[in-house]
Amino acid sequence: MATTTLEPRAGTYQRSWVLDWLTTVDHKKIGILYIVNSFLFFFAAGILALLIRSELAIPGIQFLDQNTYNQAFTMHGTIMLFLFIIPALSGFGNYIVPLQLGAPDMAFPRINALSFWLLPLGGLLIFSGYLFGGAAAEGWTGYAPLTNRSEGVGTDLWIIGLALVGTASILGAVNFIATIFKMRAPGMTLFRMPIFVWTMLVTAVLILLATPVLAAGLIALFIDRNYGGSFFDPSVGGNPVLWQHIFWFFGHPEVYIVILPAMGVVSEILPVFSRKPLFGYRAFVFATIAIGLLSFSVWAHHMFTTGSVLLPFFSFMTALIAIPTGIKMFNWLATLWRGKLILATPMLFALGFLSMFLIGGISGVMLASPPIDFHVQDTYFVVAHLHYVFFGGSVFGVFAAMYYWFPKMTGRKLNEPLGKIHFWMHFIGFNLAFFPMHQLGLDGMPRRISDYSPDAGWTLLNMVSTVGAFMIAASIIPFLINVIATFINGEPAGDNPWEGNTLEWATTSPPPPYNFDRLPPIHSERPLFFLTHGHGHAAVRPEDLEETAEDDVERRDGAV
Amino acid sequence: MQPTVASSRLRKILRAGAPMFLIGLLAGCLLPPEPKTEVGKDVFNLYIIVLFLAGIVFVAVEGFIVYAIVRYRRKPGDDTLPEQHHGNTKVEIIWTLIPTVIVFILFGFSMATLSEIEARSENPGVVVQVDGFQWDWTFRYEDGPVFNSEGGEPPVLRVPVGEPVRLVLNSLDVNHSFYVPQFLIKRDLIDLGENGRDNELEFTITEAGTYAGQCAEFCGTAHADMKFVVEAMEREAFDEYMAALASGETPPPTGGGECSTTIEIKANNTQFDIGEFEVPADTDFCIAFENQEAVPHNVAIYDGGEATFTGDFVNEPGSITYNVPALPAGEFRFICDAHPQAMVGDVTVTE
Repeated sequence: MATTTLEPRAGTYQRSWVLDWLTTVDHKKIGILYIVNSFLFFFAAGILALLIRSELAIPGIQFLDQNTYNQAFTMHGTIMLFLFIIPALSGFGNYIVPLQLGAPDMAFPRINALSFWLLPLGGLLIFSGYLFGGAAAEGWTGYAPLTNRSEGVGTDLWIIGLALVGTASILGAVNFIATIFKMRAPGMTLFRMPIFVWTMLVTAVLILLATPVLAAGLIALFIDRNYGGSFFDPSVGGNPVLWQHIFWFFGHPEVYIVILPAMGVVSEILPVFSRKPLFGYRAFVFATIAIGLLSFSVWAHHMFTTGSVLLPFFSFMTALIAIPTGIKMFNWLATLWRGKLILATPMLFALGFLSMFLIGGISGVMLASPPIDFHVQDTYFVVAHLHYVFFGGSVFGVFAAMYYWFPKMTGRKLNEPLGKIHFWMHFIGFNLAFFPMHQLGLDGMPRRISDYSPDAGWTLLNMVSTVGAFMIAASIIPFLINVIATFINGEPAGDNPWEGNTLEWATTSPPPPYNFDRLPPIHSERPLFFLTHGHGHAAVRPEDLEETAEDDVERRDGAV
Repeated sequence: MQPTVASSRLRKILRAGAPMFLIGLLAGCLLPPEPKTEVGKDVFNLYIIVLFLAGIVFVAVEGFIVYAIVRYRRKPGDDTLPEQHHGNTKVEIIWTLIPTVIVFILFGFSMATLSEIEARSENPGVVVQVDGFQWDWTFRYEDGPVFNSEGGEPPVLRVPVGEPVRLVLNSLDVNHSFYVPQFLIKRDLIDLGENGRDNELEFTITEAGTYAGQCAEFCGTAHADMKFVVEAMEREAFDEYMAALASGETPPPTGGGECSTTIEIKANNTQFDIGEFEVPADTDFCIAFENQEAVPHNVAIYDGGEATFTGDFVNEPGSITYNVPALPAGEFRFICDAHPQAMVGDVTVTE
């Protein structure tokens, strides 16, 4: 057998590593490019966040004038969402999804490279406003008619940059869908796919349906601004509420685009570090699909105070999302139940995700009630809510994924004590920064203000929040030291340092080009479990061993 | 294996701590301001119910996570696998029902409150058109006065207490939002063009006083400065004020509620009539200033070299009421900015 198996590694020829990385179409290298690029933008947008928090620490205008402040929060929101969280999770998806499917690469490697390279281009265009008289300053939601009427080329660059980033997203989504439907290894049926792949699949479908709507809106806005269009400007017959509908028809699925892959990451980590299967795999899959479907019927809950939307319908649909989300939460908790928990850094971040995302979920349900929304809409309560979802949820997911898959990507394990220091500073800093914002919002502090009165009584909580923001920033230092030190001289990880049960752990760390020399048989969503614990183990269910049509195909085709 | 002493102690703390935490949550923090409108009271009551449900969910889930971390942490050297549960249809149906029930309860309460908020009265006590523009407000009364901002002070919306106030919310440019935190309600001002209908907002204020409000929808450069004040007064005072305004007289100083202390100061012959006054700390107060000569005077309060309050100038004989923000306990000076040498006195702010 060994003599007849084809050597899957492509013939190599010498070229400089710079050229190699610039022209690569290998999903793993592209995945790493995504992640590195995302972290660079994360640091840039993080510095903007520190500027914002410094300005708000005490009343009065200290560091930033109003215009600079408005640019800072606009860029912070735009960059964090479109150039950090989404691409970072896409990067892990790029790296891990083909591996988890037992595939040699993504379905369209060149499109994969294109969709990556559009990102830094789009991101730099968005930032380049700073070179041409000021970046966009209308908020990341770019509400018309403010965006129609603002002067300066920064907003145009923001539109073009976002359109490019959106195009990259759409291309990436097509690639993920094609890969997941057509590139699965023999035996890898849909209901044997790891949950992370499922969440990436639903995410890709959401991107494919929602992002073109944003792109259309951006093009309409560009026409309004530059060619005398009248889509959104009421003074020439347009409708500014139309922009809000378009933006949030994209923008709410966007929230799930950002959170679902992070849920997927957590659903990979919790079982491995509890040494149990995920509780209720199928329920989890259906809940993910349900969230995806519902996400298209709730956009107007961002618009309750416009007086232009049907409140009961959107309130009800929004509240319904709590049901599949609740199912997921219970499934995660049941996965911990009677497990044997190993509190390594990936697990800490995954547990951090559970406890923080819960708060974001609860405040989300509160906001779904129109009367409560009438009070806290556009206040810091909403800022707190969205950071508990995006930061407490997605960013904790990104770091969990980083610590979990770093050994696979580099062959070296990140240092645990430094990882734990990072986690605790991050966790405490995060709560100091964002929990007080709930109270600030309830007290009536509007979002997006550069200054507030010393009489308003918001000074103390703002100061606490600023301290927390700097603590988060400080937590990045042990993280960076860890990453650099591990690159230089880290503990070798081996193929499967965490005793993971999905296929990415069945190959070397890092995996060779085209990923697998041979694949284990796939009888369940945990193919490696049988290799580690054997068919005789009491935990192996009879149905896991049933032969299926796919298994026959696998036998006929032999080694992949 | 027996739970360790530490873990059982932790559990005891958790068991006692969870309800305490919940009570603490409800008692002090995470509450909106005390509502000053009738709709605000409805919103507040709804919020309390929702917060209570949220608190239960929060304590239950976070409690379980902490419990799991303590109870199910792998013991060193224990390499055995735990039992491999793949799922259980019965419990999954149960925990699908739990959030479903919560969601329906919440939705029911929300809709009941919503219908209270959206209710419109037959005869509102006053109808005011609110014009929002970058970055200020104008309040226009039906067949009546128009209030703008004056001299850098935010514009004042004067309305009667205890009667429905109806606002017609009209944007002159980009989107804005009318928001008074103590009313627990806001509504956007959106220019919908010629065929659009302006949003309306109706509320009944329950207590006389002044309430700070500001624009809540980001509207460009000076969004943070787009503030206003709502001054709610008893019907008689409101009518008196409006009548005086209509007849061209200087309206009487208003706002029965907001000045617990009013200091009267007169200026004549480039002299103040008093050399010192005393006010309580951390409380807003008023200065009723009367200029008796045709020389510009004002009253400003200084903490050392720094002005903490600067009143508008009165350039000819006339009166003005300054609303002075609360001062901390200590010694200050009051000065006429035009005559800092001659017109100066001491302010004592006592605890």
